[in-house]
Amino acid sequence: MSVFTARRWRLLGALMAAVLASFALAACGGNSGLSGSGNEDVTTAKCGDASGSLKISNWPLYIDPKTIKEFQSETGIKTTYTEEVNDNNQFFGKVQGQFSQGNSGGRDLIIVTDWMAEKMWNLGYIQKLDHSCLETVFKNMVPSLKSPAFDPDREYTVPWQSGMTGLMVREDLAPEVKSINDLFDPKYKGKVTMLEEMRDTVPLVMAADGVDPTTATTEDWMNAINKIGDAVKSGQIRRFTGNDFVQDMIKGDVVAAIGWSGDGVQVEADNPNIKYVPPAEGCSLWSDNMLIPVGAPNSPAAYEFMNYVYEPKNQAQITKYVNYVSPVKGVKEVLVKQDPDIANNKLIFPPDSVTEKCFSQVSPPGDEEQQKEVEQAFQNVLTG
Amino acid sequence: MNTFRQRLVPYALLGPGLIWLTIFFVIPMYYMLELSLKTGSLEAGFQMTWAFSNYTDAISQYSTQFWRAFYYAGIASFFCLLIGYPLAYAIAFKAGRWKNLMLFAVVAPFFTTYLIRTVAWKTILDDSSPVVSILKTLHIVPPDGRVLATSAAVIAGLTYNFLPFMVLPLFAALERLDRRLLEAGNDLYATSPQTFWRVTLPLTMPGIVAGVLLTFIPAAGDYVNVIFLGGTSQAMIGNVIQSKYLVVNDYPDAAALSFTLLAIILVALIIYIKFAGTSALMGEEEEAH
Repeated sequence: MSVFTARRWRLLGALMAAVLASFALAACGGNSGLSGSGNEDVTTAKCGDASGSLKISNWPLYIDPKTIKEFQSETGIKTTYTEEVNDNNQFFGKVQGQFSQGNSGGRDLIIVTDWMAEKMWNLGYIQKLDHSCLETVFKNMVPSLKSPAFDPDREYTVPWQSGMTGLMVREDLAPEVKSINDLFDPKYKGKVTMLEEMRDTVPLVMAADGVDPTTATTEDWMNAINKIGDAVKSGQIRRFTGNDFVQDMIKGDVVAAIGWSGDGVQVEADNPNIKYVPPAEGCSLWSDNMLIPVGAPNSPAAYEFMNYVYEPKNQAQITKYVNYVSPVKGVKEVLVKQDPDIANNKLIFPPDSVTEKCFSQVSPPGDEEQQKEVEQAFQNVLTG
Repeated sequence: MNTFRQRLVPYALLGPGLIWLTIFFVIPMYYMLELSLKTGSLEAGFQMTWAFSNYTDAISQYSTQFWRAFYYAGIASFFCLLIGYPLAYAIAFKAGRWKNLMLFAVVAPFFTTYLIRTVAWKTILDDSSPVVSILKTLHIVPPDGRVLATSAAVIAGLTYNFLPFMVLPLFAALERLDRRLLEAGNDLYATSPQTFWRVTLPLTMPGIVAGVLLTFIPAAGDYVNVIFLGGTSQAMIGNVIQSKYLVVNDYPDAAALSFTLLAIILVALIIYIKFAGTSALMGEEEEAH
């Protein structure tokens, strides 16, 4: 131990300080990169000769793996398909560092929900789409999806799949659950879950209280969050989930939940007692969208893929597999011959009676700061 | 020249470790510290405003989750010790030729990932599982009660996941215990329990101290067990930090919370080591002198 005299320790300390200082200086020069660049200098993604390789980031179980194989063999584009989006916020946290530097991390196409698409666009992370490159897409897109409020001209988004958020019920254990308000019935204490995505859960609770979510104020959001918070404190709500509410329901640990229609179709097939029920006060309608991030290495291939999945026969394969509401016209006609069960399923091809009471998924009103306050209040309920 | 080279040897040996620590620990820590004093949003950028209020807010707003984290981690460490000490004792003294196999069994769970092991507990403890029905017939769990999504489930998960970190240092301490001292105890008319309390336990203190540190510190910062086994009222401070970072994207608050956690653990550590004595941690060296 005698090798390290006090003097040498000091020397070592000075050495380390010098190393640290040089790193700090280098980092200052390089800008912390946490700030957004805005979308004034937005670029338009170019199309053209589609070849080379394509990298797609999507949600788990959101495509039939056969579709990727067939796309590869038909176009010769080598496709890397990653299921790395599990939650909009978490994905944002993961890519934000790269995206803010104009680096897509090699991704050519990403799929996120409406509000996250809008947020990324506002930050300048997303390229504008050239509609002349997307003939198949716009020829086959269902009319009701052509001009959503957040992107009226579909300037930067192309819907991937749509779905409804509503009630999932074990009809054998909780037959009389028809409204979101029934989730607050003490009869089901500790047997109820809600979704951990605020934009899924809170608007439904507001609607159940007679508030129109599309015009709700910050106060309305806070009231609904408080209502949920009280239910958490009393032990009424067991926990908040992602898709995993499904397992809890199969076991019967949970008898009623806020859930997604697509999961409803898949679970009904496994356990006919579990049903998606459109809430009496209305349901929430959302889409996940394909976006080309700034810095995408191969936008022509991304356009090629978008057009490919908008061919009804290719889309039919995806619909059969994921069971969400398809954004493509003519899919039902393809499926009527192939798989009449799916073609007649009211959740996959919802009739007007199911969707008429739906509102499009909304974010809290106000600027970034106010939205953050609401999000924080909801998170505080989650981490009670 | 020769002596100069000799002088350089210790620095050269420290070099790789130091560079590693600097790049992957000191520098990130420095940025975290800087970040924890900023305000702003991810979209507009974070500005340095020396916002020490981030810290006071963090503590006042989330004191419940801090307490809960230390409470859960403390109980889990206690149970680890309670289960781990006899186990390590048995492996060290009684296992004979099964010793290696038993040690392997202690480490075996690490061959599956942490997440999968925790998810497995979800199945073990779900409302209709045999384990829960047995607990109900024994009246440990009330007839309309549940185990999953309660504190008990989270503590059970933590205990299970960190048990090997307790067993291994305890085993190392017991293994190198000089058996002749135990014989001497018997020769001096001490009963077995007396020998245990006055010889074995004090001499294996370093293992206990190390084991408690290795279980308590990671358990206090854990958030995975709560996600799978907890409900809405079990969130630990790790869950708050995770939600601040990944959901609300409030990096300064998250950084302030992380540093507060770090500081509390450091202070607790210092008190603990003072109390347990540095000799307990470095018992071997003390003996050698």
